[in-house]
Amino acid sequence: MISVAYAKHSDPATAVRGCAASLGTGPLEMLLVFCGGKHDPHVVLSALRQAFGAVPVVGGSAAGAIAREGFGYSGFELGIIAFRDPAVTPRCVTTRELLPDERAGGAALGMRVAEVAHADDVVLLFFDSVALASPLRLHPASAIVDGFHAGFGERPVCLIGGGLLTDMNLAGGWVFDGAAVVKHAAVALVFPSLVRAETAVMHGCRPVSTFMEITRIDGAEVCELDGRPALTVIERMLGLPLGGSRGHELTLTATLGEKQGDPFAPYDENAYVNRLILRANPETGSVTLFEQDFALGTRVQIMSRDNSLMLESVRRGVAEINRAVARSEALFGLYIDCAGRGSARSGAPVEEAALVQTGLDPAVPLLGFYSGVEIAPFAEGRSRPLDWTGVLTVLRRRA
Amino acid sequence: MSDGAQEIMIGQLERELAYYRRECNDLGARLLRLQEEQSQTFREARRSRTVAKLIREAYRLADGELTPAEIGTPMLEIIIENALCDGAALLEEQGEGFRISHAIGVGVEAPSHPVAIPSPPAFFYTTARTPIEPLAYELTGILRLPYVLWAYDKPTGRALILGNRSESNVSRPFEAGDQELIEGALSVYIDIMLRKQAEMALRGAKSTAERASAARARFLATLTHELRTPLNAIVGYSEMMVPGSRYDPSPADRGRYTEMILDAAHYLLKLADGILDYSYLEQALPSLRPEWLPAGKVIANTVALASGEGQSREVAIRAFAIDPALELCIDPVRFRQVLHNLLGNAVKFSPAGSTVEVALLQGDDGGIAVTVRDAGIGMRPEDIPRALEPFQQLDHQAARSFGGAGLGLPIAKRLVEAHGGELSIESWPGTGTLATVTLPPERVRLRLED
Repeated sequence: MISVAYAKHSDPATAVRGCAASLGTGPLEMLLVFCGGKHDPHVVLSALRQAFGAVPVVGGSAAGAIAREGFGYSGFELGIIAFRDPAVTPRCVTTRELLPDERAGGAALGMRVAEVAHADDVVLLFFDSVALASPLRLHPASAIVDGFHAGFGERPVCLIGGGLLTDMNLAGGWVFDGAAVVKHAAVALVFPSLVRAETAVMHGCRPVSTFMEITRIDGAEVCELDGRPALTVIERMLGLPLGGSRGHELTLTATLGEKQGDPFAPYDENAYVNRLILRANPETGSVTLFEQDFALGTRVQIMSRDNSLMLESVRRGVAEINRAVARSEALFGLYIDCAGRGSARSGAPVEEAALVQTGLDPAVPLLGFYSGVEIAPFAEGRSRPLDWTGVLTVLRRRA
Repeated sequence: MSDGAQEIMIGQLERELAYYRRECNDLGARLLRLQEEQSQTFREARRSRTVAKLIREAYRLADGELTPAEIGTPMLEIIIENALCDGAALLEEQGEGFRISHAIGVGVEAPSHPVAIPSPPAFFYTTARTPIEPLAYELTGILRLPYVLWAYDKPTGRALILGNRSESNVSRPFEAGDQELIEGALSVYIDIMLRKQAEMALRGAKSTAERASAARARFLATLTHELRTPLNAIVGYSEMMVPGSRYDPSPADRGRYTEMILDAAHYLLKLADGILDYSYLEQALPSLRPEWLPAGKVIANTVALASGEGQSREVAIRAFAIDPALELCIDPVRFRQVLHNLLGNAVKFSPAGSTVEVALLQGDDGGIAVTVRDAGIGMRPEDIPRALEPFQQLDHQAARSFGGAGLGLPIAKRLVEAHGGELSIESWPGTGTLATVTLPPERVRLRLED
């Protein structure tokens, strides 16, 4: 049996007690916890141990949480998924080695997961998105996921996950790895083979340019598009200069998207891998992306966030999941929601999390969190990190 | 098709492609800007709605059971949730500075010492462009966050401060337009707090009035009974002795009747003294005249005074030795009255042949505790609070047996509190009672050797 609890309070102990009251008593195998970033994680962990005993606690910080009872991104939210049945409780594999080399850390994790996972098993992956707050450096999900696949090998795996943040301003992030509060760490939860996942990736971006080729790139820093400084190209599109203090506004405005498959096929939101722009660099004329998986020669389009499209995509994705899990034994739903999609940041007139909260089949216990990056199977292939998406996955028993 | 015609067609197609590319990019750019403008408009509208939403949510706190002190934290939670900031605190003016009454947020640790802000402004904010001047330095030091938004309400001496670690697209830079938000939040908080204070005062006054009314009713019932018994005796025996009475008592009977009338009159006088004493307590308390007196002597004198009553009831009083150098700063009359009341009760409720013990203990903090322990009838723990209320006789049967209007303990309690101390009672039915009078360290000293 799996149950979900949610509470919001500035006192972490009170929030934990609220969740504990909602979860009730009974033996526990594991807690998956998403904790608002304004809480002191050590106090939360101590309160969890006081309330639930020596049960393994995995998860970490979140810019906010989403549940049936409520949602928010004040930083005081606390969401818990409690696993009670050993038959559906995942095995936890961790690494604390992301800081020196994310790819190597991901590979080590993938190798260890491969030792306990079977083909097509569901693996939930969580890691702290922010490596350093000042100057801001992220743990690129693309490197971690790429490393994971390399370490895991050729067998198929259903990898779903998200980057953990303390807030929407990318101020920090941390992980509960089953033993302690840690940074530069990733947790992989490997579910028993009887558990399957139904996943919908909800987008919200639309191309607003022709294809452009990346003609110079250094890691996550895109220097040139079609031979011109990338920033100049984007500024011309936006019609405003993005130097100085306005550089950060790009995150709210445009993304770069890579279309998969036939580039001239009709628009399909699921065909795009979007990359958020972390910052503009006026001195070099470049832009730095959240991820470093674009390469020299990658053909990209400038993408505009489209709030109507985002909400429409959520409605469609939730309906799709409801159809997929109908007449099956759903264990729980997890919504990994890009923090930027919150109304405070996206400017959407409706909170898209509310559409998931109210739209998902009420029989499915739901917990979600606001993330820094989302990871999901892409285009029926390997999982990839995605930006500006909402990944809704419902874990169910195999029929 | 000839080569020339093919070249012309290719050139035409290239021009057409360039046209569509240009148009696509131009339309895309316009769409991007429109999308951004729409988002910006919505974010602006959201900001305006934030004030209304914050006020609406905050006013819900007024309906709850929270006390004025308890509304601070939920109020800050509502503010942080709506204003999307990293930290927030409520401050209260105290002397030359401010005391932080509530603070929440990332790594926010409210300083325990008062915060000095010599000239608190009504409204202030800092941004990345704010020069480092004393006021900005003082205000950013409160939450230890560089970007702050501040409002201060001079008439009530209350202030609210919000803070951010960074300026970004979510934690956008504070601006003059945020005055409405922070002043709105502060005024709602003050409004709810004052309302809660008034509610509490009203509730307290109502409760006091109800208690007073109940006490009056009990007092009248007790008094009626207490007055009637001796008055009946006085009237009855007087009628028997009045000239022309059909009883024609003998001289011996007359003597016995006269003694009974006198006893009843003395009892009435004692009762009247108690009532007067309690009635005048309010006026008497401010006029306490404390002086340093040897503790041992005060206790020994009081014990001696109560011993007469003890002998008549065959109850011994034993006082343990007290350091002769120990002195207490007490009102000699009123403090003796406290001890006398406690001893009187202990003797009154003790069985014949038992001993009442009086001791003085020195606490680690420098204060003292005087204990009076008896082995009497005791009372149930739940009755103890009533025993400390005026005109409460717990057991009316006992009251008739032991006499008294139930004023001894309430008077003692008020007098001890007027000395800055406390009176506590522990009791067990059938086992006895332990009354403890504590005095704070400032009322205790050891006399220096002459």
